[in-house]
This record gives sequence, C-alpha cells and structure tokens, in this order.
Amino acid sequence: MRALQGLPGPRAPSLPLLLLCFLAAVRRSVEHGLSTAAPFTSLPVQEEITMTKYSNLSLESHNISVTAAPFTSLPVQEEITTTKYSNLSLESHNISMTEHSNMTVEKNITLERPSNVELTCQFTTSGDLNSVNVTWKKGDTLLEDNYLVNATGSILYTQYRVTVIDSKQMGSYSCFFGEKKQQKGTFNLKVPEINGKNKPLITYVGDSVVLMCKCQDCLPLNWTWYSVNGSVQVPIGVPVNDKYVISGKHANETSLKIMQLSEDDQGTYWCHAIFELGESEGHVELVVLSYLVPLKAFGAIVAEVVLLVTIILLFEMYTQKKKKPSDDGKEFEQGEELKLDDSNGIENSGPRHRKNESVGQ
Amino acid sequence: MALLANILAWEIPWTVGPGPISSVLVNKYGSRPVVMVGGLLCCLGMVSASYSTNVVELYLTMGFICGLGLAFNLQPALTIVGKYFYKKRPVANGLAMAGSPVFLSTLAPFNQFLFNTYGWKGSFMILGGLLLNCCVAGALMRPVEPKASTESKNKVGVRETDSSMEKRPKKLSIWEKINKYLDFSLFKHRGFLIYLSGNVIMFLGFFAPVIFLAPYAKDKGIDEYSAAFLLSVMAFVDMFARPSVGLIANSKLIRPRIQYFFSFAVMFTGICHLLCPLAEDYTSLVVYAVFFGLGFGSVSSVLFETLMDLVGAQRFSSAVGLVTVVECCPVLLGPPLAGKLVDETGQYKYMYLACGAIVVLASVWLLIGNAINYRLLAREKKKNIHTKESQETEPLKTSQSPNVNIKSGETETWKGTEVNPSERETNI
Repeated sequence: MRALQGLPGPRAPSLPLLLLCFLAAVRRSVEHGLSTAAPFTSLPVQEEITMTKYSNLSLESHNISVTAAPFTSLPVQEEITTTKYSNLSLESHNISMTEHSNMTVEKNITLERPSNVELTCQFTTSGDLNSVNVTWKKGDTLLEDNYLVNATGSILYTQYRVTVIDSKQMGSYSCFFGEKKQQKGTFNLKVPEINGKNKPLITYVGDSVVLMCKCQDCLPLNWTWYSVNGSVQVPIGVPVNDKYVISGKHANETSLKIMQLSEDDQGTYWCHAIFELGESEGHVELVVLSYLVPLKAFGAIVAEVVLLVTIILLFEMYTQKKKKPSDDGKEFEQGEELKLDDSNGIENSGPRHRKNESVGQ
Repeated sequence: MALLANILAWEIPWTVGPGPISSVLVNKYGSRPVVMVGGLLCCLGMVSASYSTNVVELYLTMGFICGLGLAFNLQPALTIVGKYFYKKRPVANGLAMAGSPVFLSTLAPFNQFLFNTYGWKGSFMILGGLLLNCCVAGALMRPVEPKASTESKNKVGVRETDSSMEKRPKKLSIWEKINKYLDFSLFKHRGFLIYLSGNVIMFLGFFAPVIFLAPYAKDKGIDEYSAAFLLSVMAFVDMFARPSVGLIANSKLIRPRIQYFFSFAVMFTGICHLLCPLAEDYTSLVVYAVFFGLGFGSVSSVLFETLMDLVGAQRFSSAVGLVTVVECCPVLLGPPLAGKLVDETGQYKYMYLACGAIVVLASVWLLIGNAINYRLLAREKKKNIHTKESQETEPLKTSQSPNVNIKSGETETWKGTEVNPSERETNI
C-alpha cells in the first residue's frame, strides 16, 4: 500500500535551490499548465522546462519541493515512486459552470485500476475573473495544493490532478468558485458498480439455484459472497462444503450455486467485488417457498373445475329427464335443421355410417 | 444447439400430427369427450412441466402433451359450433374466435404476476389448473342427438339408404374405411382445395408481421414498453373486431357471399402490411396496429366459418384436421423466412412489403377461385333442380355415385329451411 508514509529518499537540498522551489510552489498561474501534459505547480521551474510529458518524471526536483509544500496527495516518496506510474492511464474529466447555474454540477467517474486523474472545472462569468476565489476540496477537507488556475478570455479554468492508487484517493472532489455565492462542481470517483438482481428469485424447497452478480466492463481482483444473518454479513464458502459452489465463467461475473435449498436459506445474498481501488457490492434476494404454496392455488382451481363440471352435467341430466316424457321430437329449431343435415350427411357418406356417429355423441 | 435441433426435428411431427388424430376422435366419439380429454392432457402436461429438470423434459411435457391436448380442444370446439348453429353461425364463430385475443391480452400481465409470486414452477402448475377449465367447456358441449322417432319423408329415404347400404358392408374398400374416420375425399372437393391453397399462401405471410411488430418498433427507436403496447393495442382491437365482423358476416347481404368477404378481409390485411413501411413515428405505428388488429380479427373470425360454409358441418371436423396439417408448413416456415429476409436486407420494410404482397396474392387467388366456384355451383344447382323436378324425391340409387345424392339432398334441405337459397353447402 503506497500511502503517505515515507521512504527515506535521497535528498540533496541546497538552500538556493530550495528557495527557488518554494517560490515555484507558491506560484499559481501556469501558461503551459493546461495545454500540455505539464506537471504540477509544485514542480520547480527546471521541471517545467525539461519535462514535456508527465511520464518523464524526474526524481530530483520532486524531492525538494515536497518538503516545503504541503501536499495533500503526493509526498516526495510518492514522487519517487511515480516513475512506476508512468504506465498508468490518464483520465481527464471536465465540468462547465456559469455564475448563474443553480444546481450543483456533479460528474460520476468510475475507476477500476490505478490511474492518473485530471479534474478540470470551467467557470464562465461576466465579472472580473481575477477576483474569483478558487478552492478545491476532497470531501470536506480543503486541498491546498496540486491544482492550477488559468484564465482565458472570460472563462476561468482550474485543474486538479491526482494519482489514484488505492481507496484512499477515491471519493468526492469539489471545485469552488467565489466566496459569497459559491458555485460548486463535484467529481465523484467511484469503483464500478455491481449488478445483482432487483427482483427476488423464487425457488422451492429441495431445488438448487444459481445467484449471479456481474459488472459491465470491469475486472475485479476477487469476488466474495456473504449471506446476512440478522444484521451481520457472514461469508459463504469459507469452510468449503458441498452446499455452496462459487464459480465464474468470466472475470466480470460470479455465480453462487446453492444446492438443496431449505427455507432457512431465504434472504439477501451480497456479492463483493474487490478492486485495487476499493470494494463494490451487489445483492440478490432469494425466496424459498414450499410446494404447498402453489399447490393450494392449484387445488382451489381444480375444485372449482370439478364443481362446475358436476353442476353442468347434473343440470343436463335433470333437463333431459324432464324432456324425455315429452317425446314429441321438438328439441330446438336448429336441431331440426341439423337433423336434416344429418340425414343428408348419412346420404352422402354412406360408407361412413354417420348416423351411428351422431347417435354416439 | 445440436440437441435443440434434434428435439425440434422430433417435435415438429407431433405438432402437425394431432390435427387429424383429433378429427378422427371427434368423428368417432363426438366433441365432448375429446375436449375433456384434451383439457386433462393440457393440465397434465403443464403440471409435469413444472416438475421437469431439463430442456428435453420440458419439450416432452409442454410441447408434446400440452400440444396434443390443445389440438384436442381446437377441433371439437370448432366442430361443435358448426353443429349447434346454422342461422347465426358466423356470429357464433366470431364470438368463439374472440376468446383468443381476450386471453392474449390478459394473460401477459397475469403471467408476470404469477412468475413474480410463484416462480416458474408454481406458474406452470397454476396455468395447468387454469387449462383444466377446458373440461368445463367440454362439459357444456352437449351432444346433439337426432330424434330417431320423427319419420319425415327424408328419413324414409334415409332408412332405405341405410338398409341398402348395410347390405354390402363387405364391399367397403380400405380407402372407404379410412374415409370413415378421416374424410380424405375432401381433397377432391373443389371449394376445399381453393380454400386450402389460398390459406397456405396466406399463412406464409400472415404471422410474421405480428411476431416482428415489436422488434420493428424498437428498430425505429421506440422503447420496449411502447413497443409491447403496440401488440396490446392490436390484441384489444382484435378482441372487438372478431364478434363484430362475425355479426357483419351474418347479415343477409354478406352471408351468401361470405367467401368474397373472406377474400376482402385478407386483402385488407395485406394492404395494411404494404402500407406499414410508411409509418415512421409512434403514432402512425399505433394506427397501423389498429388497422392490423382489425384485419387480423376479421380474417380470424371468418376463417373457419368459410370452411364450414364450403364443406358443411358434417365433414367439417375432418376438414379442419386436414387443413391444420397442411397449414402447419407455411405457419412454421413463414416467420423464420421473414427473419432471414430481415437479416439479409437489414431492414424490416422489405419483410413487410413481401408479407403484404403474399397476403394480397392469396386474397386475389381466393377471390378468383371462389368466384369460379360460386358460378359452377350455381350452374350445378340449376341442373339439380331440373333433374329433381323430373324425378322422384328418392335420393339414393345404388348405381349412382354418392355425389349426386348429396346434391338432391341438399336441395331438399334448402327447401326445408328458411335459408337463403344461394347459401349452399357444397359437396363434390
């Protein structure tokens, strides 16, 4: 864990150089700062000339500056090790605001791997740009350094850079414009979200079920599953047993197979994806029903059907008994037509013995 | 995938087969027992599907058993409508067919509810129970008993017919024995052949637009729920179209020319499909869905009425069985071919144009065929009236073929009832 603890690094400060760096650290305006991949204001002047790319961090100057400037994010030890971060990807994100925007402007940034992040806020105002006070905050903590401010025409730019290596650098970074009437823009650095399932999975006692969690374009380092006992999350599969099988076909998904379900297995299951930059979780709800539940509904319907059929058949027998005494061959007029049809049927289908068929109905 | 293909290959004969089987059973035992057995089979199929553990079992239970049961329900139900009704038969047919869209539109949300409450296993079980209600429908199908006591002139002829016929049972050929159960002689029936061929052409392009309506809407950029709503609109319009069209078909003006009416309904549907590519936004698609529902409903409501009109109530059960077998091919082939067309051209509009063209072609074929048929029948009827007037009413002469007897019997029927004389049941 590369935190702010220091490694004792090579230091060769000489006093004049130190003073020079101090001045550079205090200075806020940079002409090259935004257009090129220029380094921090904290870097001494030599740095700015020699370095054209962020990837070519040189060691010496960082050493000096850090001791003087109160960095919130990258101490000197970090600077040394930043050569390791030369292969980190660079992500840039912008927010634009005007002095009239009422809502807080937010942008969500999903980070999975350690990377260098550039956060830029643009502020458009008609008034005097130089009088606008620019501040950056991480959460509620004021960030003193590591950002640039530039004014072009009527737009004020401010850019904050951070190298995100672990979960401590994640969070909300906000840029503030102005003193009294502050305009705020927020960047939310988050790990990728995990999708479980919104609707509960319905299963029955004795079945086996597969619970799945996946995320869109992410590659977690590890997945773990937890079941909830009361309000405590209990990890699953820790004593490996036959009941639970955790597997995953691809890196961006995981599945938990539970066999021989019982009603105790009901509840919410949480899947945790572990990234370098933190943890993310999703949940799946499992409902276990006994077979009696649909059987009751089924039984009710069957009973209704049997009842209706019995009523109909009984009614038919009753009306037929009534009709039999009055044997004058007057059923219904349609029946007569049908009889005539039947007789025609008999005629035209002699070999088929239709009459037997119609009597048999 | 290979397993699935194998299952499907084995499955198709079983979807096609039950049609004639149920016709045979209806001819032998009547409608009621067959429907009740069908209801029981459906229920059994669904309940055993809820206990199945893999795809194969699901196919066997839901596909085969349930399919058989459903086939056992359809044939007798249609047959019994023809047996119970004559004057109001088109209305009865329209109402009977109206059941489909009602359940189509209500079962969709109901299924969702069942699935969310009971899971798929419980849902199958409950749906199986609901299918058991087919038995209730079957119980209502009282068998029609001809009164043996009435001794009308017709019956005298019949008695003599019977006695003369029964004197030569040994001379029944195998062909005639088969015909006893399933009337293959229908394939010599001119009206039946016209109906069958027209329907085969029509069904090639009939169901594909329904199936592809929602994907087409999504392709146009409409969201899922609105696209599904289009189908609901269609089903809703269909629900009301069927009985109303049945009423129209029953009117004195239309009923004698019901075959033309059927052709026009088919043409209307075809033109709907041809105009569908003009629909660009959601509102026009809704309009299309309304008109399509109207067309679909009018075709469905007179679909079996026209068959009954052509072959008569007696041979209807066999006719329906044979028609189902033959029509299975275009119904099964149509949507995949349409899908292939969509894949090849990349656009849905060509599929709609093709389906519309096929359906219009079918309607033209039916129109011409039935026009010829009507004319020939009128001519034969005139001939029969002349021959009947010059002979006695005795319909059966052993030397004569059964065909002629039918016609003379038919004229008696016409005279005996108040039916419009141009209404005919043709048997050739």
